[in-house]
Amino acid sequence: MSENVINPKEIKSGYLIIGNSTAGLAAAASIRKIDGQGSITILTNESHSNYSKPLITYYLAGMLGLDKVFFKDSSFYRKNNIRLVCNANVYDVDPAKHEVTADTGKNEPSVFSYYKLLIANGGRPAIPSIKVTELSGKMSELSELMTASKDIKSVKKPGIKKINGVFTLTTLDDAISVKKYIADNKISSASILGGGLIGLKAAEAFLELGIKINIIEFSPRILSASFDESASDIITGKIQDSGSNVLTNSTIENIFVDDSLNISGYQLRSGKKVPCTLLVIAVGVSPATSMLGRGKDILKIDSGITVNEYMQTSEPDIYAAGDIVNSFDKLSLKSKNIAIWPLAVKQGSIAGTNMAGGRQKYGGGFFMNSVEILGVPVISIGLSSAQDNEAENIKTYKNYNSQKNIYRKIVVKDNKVVGAILAGSIERAGIYAGLISNEVDITDIKDNIAKEDFGIIQLPAGYRKHLVVGDGIEV
Amino acid sequence: MKRIHINEQYCIGCRLCEIYCQVKHSKSKKIIKAFKEEASDMMSRVLVEEIGSNSFAIQCRHCIDAPCADACISGAMTRNDNTGVVNCDEEKCVGCWSCIMVCPYGVIKRDVKARRAASKCDLCIDEEVPVCVANCPNEALKFCEDKNE
Repeated sequence: MSENVINPKEIKSGYLIIGNSTAGLAAAASIRKIDGQGSITILTNESHSNYSKPLITYYLAGMLGLDKVFFKDSSFYRKNNIRLVCNANVYDVDPAKHEVTADTGKNEPSVFSYYKLLIANGGRPAIPSIKVTELSGKMSELSELMTASKDIKSVKKPGIKKINGVFTLTTLDDAISVKKYIADNKISSASILGGGLIGLKAAEAFLELGIKINIIEFSPRILSASFDESASDIITGKIQDSGSNVLTNSTIENIFVDDSLNISGYQLRSGKKVPCTLLVIAVGVSPATSMLGRGKDILKIDSGITVNEYMQTSEPDIYAAGDIVNSFDKLSLKSKNIAIWPLAVKQGSIAGTNMAGGRQKYGGGFFMNSVEILGVPVISIGLSSAQDNEAENIKTYKNYNSQKNIYRKIVVKDNKVVGAILAGSIERAGIYAGLISNEVDITDIKDNIAKEDFGIIQLPAGYRKHLVVGDGIEV
Repeated sequence: MKRIHINEQYCIGCRLCEIYCQVKHSKSKKIIKAFKEEASDMMSRVLVEEIGSNSFAIQCRHCIDAPCADACISGAMTRNDNTGVVNCDEEKCVGCWSCIMVCPYGVIKRDVKARRAASKCDLCIDEEVPVCVANCPNEALKFCEDKNE
């Protein structure tokens, strides 16, 4: 959009935002609401002007065209007078000088100075340690051959070859590459290393395309971090019924490639060799803090960047929001990395307000997610995995209809809902999220809490009134 | 803005609001044709809850700080700053159900009948009064300005 503007060696900017996804854009919008004058510059290491990361698997599945993966229309930047700099690979943040340095593909690095900075460049996929064996017997490390697509600098480095047929799937460029690879190689089966949410989103897309999948998961079951055994079993059963495989308690130890570095197969921990032409690595995403350079030693970081309730980092003029931060988890009462879209929006918006001189507090959030596999929707909210449920004073209320494949589990602690899982039928799931947020005492409605027809009418009259007054119900 | 107000004490659970809502959002907009021919595609956007003699109808509250719009990954769910109406662009919606996950009223539905999209009250923006309100025999639903705004 405005790549051509970045010519001068030093660019003065009022508000600088690293990251052009939902947290960054929410911040820009709330800055503009308060400050109509100050300049806003957004840096992104991507070539696309704006897209929704969770939509990339819908694009891969052929459910959306490339023109539909944008979540803000192109006029957003113009209307809000925001300068967007694409292909800007930030590699240093200097809090003392208030400067950010990026490689923008020019001979000299571009330096952006700021009055207030927001770090909102999200996460990056983890690459596990796996041996790669060539036909000749030559061995190397997967992480050396696989450069995450964000690392444009290292891709350009001569001498480093790229492995073909092995992908991560966290950016639009990843999805475009996978889609092209599938078409070029007429792929009819694929393997996914990692049965977490990203792995399952990839699975969802492949199954939609009629591609058979093998999911390889290290834990005893898929989705173990966010779902309990029953919900995992429902999804696993559905995948297996479709003719695909779920392999648990397993991992890939060795990847085999031909002379041109095309993947030909892999070896599992059990020793079994599996032919393979497409492998997606989905073992996790972690906060992308490596680009902070000097800032990495100065900012307080604990897996994600530590922020206070104003989304401010340990440096007063630097804020952070979204998947890169550790923020307040309402349920554990600890600072945690909770990388989900709705919290990124909230945090970005609050950070923006405070950067522009407002004063707004982040009240915290909690984990939640929604996936749909082969027509079975599943939602997990709050404390819902098996480990969570072993905590003290936890009581669970379950409702399983095996005929209809509908499962609902509500997790209660000290008479308050702290978690929920809904599989098969997800109607009204948000009521539970509301009960968690508002810490509603559910002593009187426990018996109904996990029922399929649970609704607003069962809620305590006081909470019902609280819910509805203000935004217009009188009950 | 004008909002739908719920008066629980007048609701008798007749579900006429649901019927008129379905017709309004059907293809033909004709009550008999809709129920005889389009029934498999229809979904009411207003929901009657009922236990014994206690009942009320509830639909999207068109929250000022709408959590569904924050949670939407496709830009389909937005709040119009001028009208105050929270609307789902069903063309843009991909059916990720994030809105269902966060709506504290539970008034967004998973529609996989006509298309895979979130289905919710649009406040019948092209009508003077939403059809659920207009067809409520007891004024259990009323459409009026919110004094708090």
